[in-house]
Amino acid sequence: MVDQKMLVEVAKETLAREDVKYIIGYKKGSYGFQTSAAFAYTPKDVEEFIFTPLCNKNLAKYPLKEEKLPLKRGEEEDKRKIGLVVKGCDSRAIVQIIQENGMKREDVVLIGIPCPGVINQKEIEKRFPNQSEITDINEINDEYVFTVEGKEHKIPKQELLAEVCKTCEYPNPVLYDVMIGEEVEVNPKAEYEGIKDLEEAPLENRWEYWEEQFQRCIRCYACREACPLCYCSTCMADLLEPQWIRRSVNLSENTAWNIMRAFHLAGRCISCGACENACPMDIPLMELNKKLGKEVKEMFEYTPGLDIDAKPLLGSFNPDDPEEFIK
Amino acid sequence: MEDFEPNIIGFLCNWCSYAGADLAGTSRIQYSHNVKIIRVMCSGRVNPMFVINALQQGADGVLIGGCHPGDCHYQHGNYLARRRISVMKKLLEFMGINPERIKMTWVSAAEGRKFAEVVDEVTAEIRKLGPNTKIRRKNEW
Repeated sequence: MVDQKMLVEVAKETLAREDVKYIIGYKKGSYGFQTSAAFAYTPKDVEEFIFTPLCNKNLAKYPLKEEKLPLKRGEEEDKRKIGLVVKGCDSRAIVQIIQENGMKREDVVLIGIPCPGVINQKEIEKRFPNQSEITDINEINDEYVFTVEGKEHKIPKQELLAEVCKTCEYPNPVLYDVMIGEEVEVNPKAEYEGIKDLEEAPLENRWEYWEEQFQRCIRCYACREACPLCYCSTCMADLLEPQWIRRSVNLSENTAWNIMRAFHLAGRCISCGACENACPMDIPLMELNKKLGKEVKEMFEYTPGLDIDAKPLLGSFNPDDPEEFIK
Repeated sequence: MEDFEPNIIGFLCNWCSYAGADLAGTSRIQYSHNVKIIRVMCSGRVNPMFVINALQQGADGVLIGGCHPGDCHYQHGNYLARRRISVMKKLLEFMGINPERIKMTWVSAAEGRKFAEVVDEVTAEIRKLGPNTKIRRKNEW
């Protein structure tokens, strides 16, 4: 468990620094098993910071989405840093963004949290539907302990743990300024077990599977909005000239959108699972991302989000790349 | 499928493959007429979404032609294209769309004969695969 007091203390210290504008962290949500992002400008705001197994959102996108109003005459740009509370995957997202020049290292102050794994939001909401009361979850000895409608529940961690956390290779932040608590133990497991069945299925069966999935897509673009690495100021999907994909919701366009989204994350996805968590139609988007992550690892020996000085995968090359498919 | 004539879109690079196709024409080499050529300045210009859009709009296959490795007019455009297309092929394969519909070739400006051979080969292979029905756009409203 992460020490809440220490988190608040460290956040306060960071906020007191002259070069920090505000800190983004987690606070209690307004209902059920939700948590929301908190923007702390004053020490009093910091008091409400929490870190529980429910903090499954990825905050890495917020610094990029900050609104920058045009400056008045004589006014100077506020160049102070933004503080950010990061788990392992969030910090990898930040590394990846810095690597792509999406932001600068000196723009952010990172408060690293060694993450024991977060909860699968969809699973817990399926088990306890329509909860309006704010629920706290504590992790005690590999069990999640919480009270719903006056009744205490104890559920084994593995049952509720998010899919991505079960195979997480980097639970400890790879980039941070302050670390809270001790590093957690890495639990190495076969990362690509989940997509093995589908990989081995015949081509037609795979298409049947994905056809069914994509047919349900309503193209709300929640996956894009939730993803920390989908931060283009104008997305290709929104362009009208040229119109890469049409607006109509049908299988052809949905497939094209999902190919585009997955391909854009090839060699960039840091497997935080934000897209899948955000999808209202429960499309298994992480399977696509995982498959590409696996292929990229095998073909180019590349793992995204570890080194801020590395070159982006698709922006670099090696003359000895595989080319057996070329005539 | 004997009488099926595949529709293939060819994205050829201005400096090598397109010149190769030109040479095949001026040398009066006979080859399949199924490849519709679009000239691009470099194979690195081919956004993988070009390929998807072609398949959506009725192409049965896509052929991407570039310079031989090391010969790119823009130093390394073809290397970048190679990486992109190989990743895209893996993604399509996982989704159940036959990756063999995307072909890539290196043809230099002097290889008119090779270009004709590649086109014949690609056409025969796509003909065997049959028409593309999977992500084809249906114009209905």
